[in-house]
Amino acid sequence: MSSVIDGSTITASNLSQRFKRADGQLVNALASVSFTIPEGQFVCLVGPSGCGKSTLLQIMSGLLAATDGTLEVGNKRVTQPAPQRGVVFQKDSVFPWLRVVDNVEYGLKCAGLAKAKRREIAEHYLERVGLSQVGRAWPRELSGGMLKRVAIATVFANGANVLMLDEPFGALDYVTRRQLQEVLLTLWGEATDSGRRRTVIFVTHDVDEALLLADRILVLRGGRLVDDLPVSAPRPRTTDSLLRADLVQAKHTLLNHLGLERSHA
Amino acid sequence: MIRGTASDVTRVGNPKSFPRLRALSAARWRRFDPLALLGVVVMVAAWHIASRFVAGSVLPSPFNVAKRIVADFWLARELAYYGLGNTGLFGSLVFTGVNVLVAVFAGSLIGIAIGLLAARSKWLGPLVQPVMMTVGTVPTLVVAPFFLIWFGVGRGSSILLVLMYSAVILYVFAQRAADNLDPVFEDYARTLGASPRRVIRDVLIPGTVPQILGGIRIALAGAWGIEAIVELLGAQQGIGKIVSVLAQSIDIEGIFAALIVLGIAAVAFDVLTATVIRRLAPWSPAAIRHKE
Amino acid sequence: MNRQLSLRGQLAASVLVLLAMAGGWQVLSLIYTAEAAPGEPLVPGWQVLFSHTFQLLADYWPGGYGVPSVAEGAPRSYTAAALAVLLHSWDTMLRLYAGFACGALGGALLGLAVSWSDWSRRLVNLPLQFLRTLPLLAMVPLFELWFGTYFAGKVLFVAYGVGVIFFAGVINAVGNVPQLYIDYARTLGASRLRLYWTVIIPAILPELRSSILLSLGTAWAAVLGAEYLGAQSGIGYMIEYASQFGYVDRMFLIALVIVVYASISYALFNRLASMWLVWTPGAHPRERSG
Repeated sequence: MSSVIDGSTITASNLSQRFKRADGQLVNALASVSFTIPEGQFVCLVGPSGCGKSTLLQIMSGLLAATDGTLEVGNKRVTQPAPQRGVVFQKDSVFPWLRVVDNVEYGLKCAGLAKAKRREIAEHYLERVGLSQVGRAWPRELSGGMLKRVAIATVFANGANVLMLDEPFGALDYVTRRQLQEVLLTLWGEATDSGRRRTVIFVTHDVDEALLLADRILVLRGGRLVDDLPVSAPRPRTTDSLLRADLVQAKHTLLNHLGLERSHA
Repeated sequence: MIRGTASDVTRVGNPKSFPRLRALSAARWRRFDPLALLGVVVMVAAWHIASRFVAGSVLPSPFNVAKRIVADFWLARELAYYGLGNTGLFGSLVFTGVNVLVAVFAGSLIGIAIGLLAARSKWLGPLVQPVMMTVGTVPTLVVAPFFLIWFGVGRGSSILLVLMYSAVILYVFAQRAADNLDPVFEDYARTLGASPRRVIRDVLIPGTVPQILGGIRIALAGAWGIEAIVELLGAQQGIGKIVSVLAQSIDIEGIFAALIVLGIAAVAFDVLTATVIRRLAPWSPAAIRHKE
Repeated sequence: MNRQLSLRGQLAASVLVLLAMAGGWQVLSLIYTAEAAPGEPLVPGWQVLFSHTFQLLADYWPGGYGVPSVAEGAPRSYTAAALAVLLHSWDTMLRLYAGFACGALGGALLGLAVSWSDWSRRLVNLPLQFLRTLPLLAMVPLFELWFGTYFAGKVLFVAYGVGVIFFAGVINAVGNVPQLYIDYARTLGASRLRLYWTVIIPAILPELRSSILLSLGTAWAAVLGAEYLGAQSGIGYMIEYASQFGYVDRMFLIALVIVVYASISYALFNRLASMWLVWTPGAHPRERSG
């Protein structure tokens, strides 16, 4: 793991987030979280409900300003959202008032690309996620899994080199989830035009999903970073990969952190 | 709803056969309900039967009313008799209709602009909200006599009154729509690189259009009545004037004719608005904030 | 990002705005001192409104209870004015609430009856849409010619306006009852009648809330419209009568009274609706998560 800070290294220093609840009480959503994520790494953020993982993602994407601490991407402070940091939200964020292909094109339209070029890129990524047949459909005609594909196609089409996904597959059934994980991994595996891999930050509460996807798992609990696990199983990972001894050990560690197991030898 | 089944997509970029998009227009056939048309027939029949049992001066029969509509359509003799010029049901309807449409249009624009701004702006919202709510509690008709004194009995008062009415309604609808718009859409747009102006243009406006159009439909429906009553209170033209004149000679048949013509116009515009809503916003309920 | 003021903040803002408008009015009255008649400024300040202008309302007291009317030559007094306002308010309120009650009950019952069978609902649909879009206020002269300008006629008019809204609202609400509740009740053994009484009726109450508030507005418009065009009593009549002489100051005072009554009626209905609907999911919206 390189420690050189290059174009897309993400550095978080002492990030804290406090907010006031409706009854006036101050809540610490995040407390002094620090980490460094080198370019091209697939990182999963894992933790129980309410541990602050979504808040952390919001800060990293620039949608929320941390009350304390700094976040830098490639040595530049992050204070605003930008197309380089694409986000796939937990809720269905695809615009209901645009057809699927117009949705995928949207970021490119904001960037001022010509219509023909936009359309070409959008249709390319729609095909990569398996939705080339429904480009003209309205979002309300699509299932939840397909809407997530649209969102994934959109952030890839928009040329993001850091991808942040906030429990994107949580509301889907098991089969669809596995399919979409595969879609994501395949797209991530391909290098961008500049020959480098994209960085992925993937928030989940599903331990198996994290072990299947990640190079590295950051564990949050009560707003604090409590563990940083490398996952070095070779790719491509299959269902059987989960049976490897090192992954089983990692799983026990994670379940321990989540409070589902006591300390295990 | 299209669903990709497990067997359909096995590999990225290699979908097997995909279920075809069900045409949206297939649903259109279900809307022509033969029983609904029968209902109209039944109502007219019931009316006719009732008119048999009651004097024609109290409840005229449908046929007589229809004949009267035709007779009075281009030239209503009663108005000429009262020295009010050569106009009939059609001309009066145009006068009334133009007032209503212009006032609703203008009032809606004002209400929408204020409503959207109030929902977005941190300081404008709390400032405008109580003003609008206060204005909204005043029954519109309370203001009518004042307008009639200040602006005379011409078009001015009725247009202004309907304008005020529409502005308040659209303010409420626009503000509520903007408030209820799920914030995830704006966040999503910003992460895709949309500037604040783009966010207003591409997220706020499309996201609130369905509810706003619904508000326009409601404002339009009430506007006809307000226009009518202002005309009844002392206009020189319009359907209200015709009804007012006919009421003095207790001409119930003529009043029926005028009211039905007005009713048909109101219904026609309501149907038109509903069609526009359906065409312009095929995505309608999806933009509402997801429940927690 | 809390863009909304708290409820208390909004109330405070409303009060401040009202005070500001009242203050602005007072300033205006000090600037614009033209008078329609000696002692009767066109823009009367609050002190004038509540003294002199109020006394002018004694003109509308027809006499009785030992207080002679101005028409009989008695001087204007606060008592007569107060009695005038009370009398006319009573008439209007009676028409309004009686009409509302009759219309709401009648419309709801009719709606429930029609919803019983799918056939009747479909049959009634188009005529109902037509009646609903027909401008109510245009029909004031018709109702007047049919039922006269007395109490019953006005109540019937208000009842018709409210009734149509409730009729349509109930039919719509019954159609929107989630099939889930109906299926659930049937699996528990409910008969059709019991289903109607114990499931459908409670299930439509939350949607009826909007019908209630909507028809309250219609009821006010109906009662005022009817009183403008042909009544011998009522606060609508007072305003219309005053407007024929151009007495804007009296009109303003009466308008204030009407607005107060209207606000009270909305607040009352809102409170009642909230009380009866306290069980509705979504009646107490949860706060946005941080």
